[in-house]
Amino acid sequence: MVRELLLDPTGMSEDSADATLSARTASLRGLTIGLLDNTKPNSTDLLQAIGDELQRTYGAAGTRMYTKDYFGTPAKDELREQIVAEVDVLITGVGDCGSCSAATVADGIQFERAGIPTVAITSDSFYASGRAMAQVQGFPGFDFYAVQHPFASLDADEVRERAMNALPEVLRILGVEG
Amino acid sequence: MDAATLSRDLTVDAESIAEAMEYYDSRGWTDGLPVVPVTESSLAAFLAVTDRDPEEVLFRIPHLNRSMTVRLAAINAALAGCKPEYFPVVIAAWEAIAKEPHPHRGIWQSTTGTAPFLVVNGPIRGEIDLNSQGNIYGSGFRANATIGRAIRLGCINVFGLHPHSLDQATQGNPSKYSACIGENEEQSPWAPFHVDNGFDASDSVVTAYVIRSVMHIEARHTMDPVQLVEDFADSIRRTGALIHEYTSALLVLVPEHADLFADAGWSKDDVRNAVFERVVRSRAELAAAGKDAVSHKTRWRLPSDHPDSMPDAASESDTPDTVRLMSHPTSVQIMVAGANNAGVSSVVEVFTLNPPRAIPYSSVKIGSAA
Repeated sequence: MVRELLLDPTGMSEDSADATLSARTASLRGLTIGLLDNTKPNSTDLLQAIGDELQRTYGAAGTRMYTKDYFGTPAKDELREQIVAEVDVLITGVGDCGSCSAATVADGIQFERAGIPTVAITSDSFYASGRAMAQVQGFPGFDFYAVQHPFASLDADEVRERAMNALPEVLRILGVEG
Repeated sequence: MDAATLSRDLTVDAESIAEAMEYYDSRGWTDGLPVVPVTESSLAAFLAVTDRDPEEVLFRIPHLNRSMTVRLAAINAALAGCKPEYFPVVIAAWEAIAKEPHPHRGIWQSTTGTAPFLVVNGPIRGEIDLNSQGNIYGSGFRANATIGRAIRLGCINVFGLHPHSLDQATQGNPSKYSACIGENEEQSPWAPFHVDNGFDASDSVVTAYVIRSVMHIEARHTMDPVQLVEDFADSIRRTGALIHEYTSALLVLVPEHADLFADAGWSKDDVRNAVFERVVRSRAELAAAGKDAVSHKTRWRLPSDHPDSMPDAASESDTPDTVRLMSHPTSVQIMVAGANNAGVSSVVEVFTLNPPRAIPYSSVKIGSAA
């Protein structure tokens, strides 16, 4: 009888990992906040409300809104390069479906690797999908924010309330001293 | 093992076998069923049936940064219980899946819960005993069961598509365990599917679909092709099938139904066009289900009084109250499979997003060069 090692069917161990966050700044004062909208319902309003509050209360210089062309996959290289060149920090979301929650987390990781402190926002019913994406991206501890589900069906006031609730976590992930 | 060896009683170390099962299960490297242990020496038999480079990439999901290489495809095929001689079918299956637009964009992470669905044509069916006649969706045939499963295990293991984590299917569907059928070319009155698609009859071909469900059409009641085609169309035009504007379907006809059409002088195109013309709903029927308009942003169907709604394509046509639910006659595909013992066919609902595709599948010849 020949005893042999059982093979790993994943190929995962062959990949290199990079779990390094971009450098944080203690303050948002004078910085440009990028908002990357994945086109899912209410995303524009949530991102804008968070961006406005960062400007009003934390001294950010302004916000710039960008839109993904497909919610199910991460932003295309050209869009990512443009955003990296134009903003200092980024908020992106809202991943409220199977593919878009994972794509939002992948975006967050790719922007961090490109040097932009980023808050990726999923809905909390897709938290596990976001976590799994962080795992396959080689960044298992990646920190993102999960907004309370359901989110797509909220009215404007409710979206604003969710934005205010998100704020302490957004600041924590960005490493900003509130 | 030769036939003489297999005919004798066999003794094993059951504890050692159970230990291997538990090892794979504990790492999450299964679909829930036991898998076949794979080592370098058992893998070698799979890699020996192809001249492809083990490191060649067959299918990649870029945003997951993961690739299905020939070697990983072989490990997962062995794990699934394939025989080495099935492996060329598995390779072609991955290549056909790679040509489909949705899998590499992450559709198997989606709540929609679709499954890969494979159709095999040509002489390979006989060579590996791939079932095309009777209980085609059921169990009992190793080639069908394990080739489909090789794809599923590859999705779970290589792409990390574990249910409850990266695979967020709300319900999924039973085809996700394994879905691989052969065409019953021998009992079809028409040319085989792959020949219609420009391959030689002597070629063996795998065709990949991404599917939502399999519905049975109970139709032993009629000899009238128009009644029969209406029975199919009525099932296909159900509103529950609609995500975006349109749906697509693969008609898997049993020989009896195919013969009924052929005996009446109908070609596959005649059947296709007759179904296409009937897969329409009135505006009022769609409104009753709240699917009479589409979303500005996502183009999903929704009620016309929704704040994000805009008119669907049919609203701008000459007949705005008659809504076609198929975009092209080729949204209806036709093949023959199943036993020649009753008028029980099926409709495979093919996943259809916006914009709709004219040809809702991808085919690859088995054994073709990279």
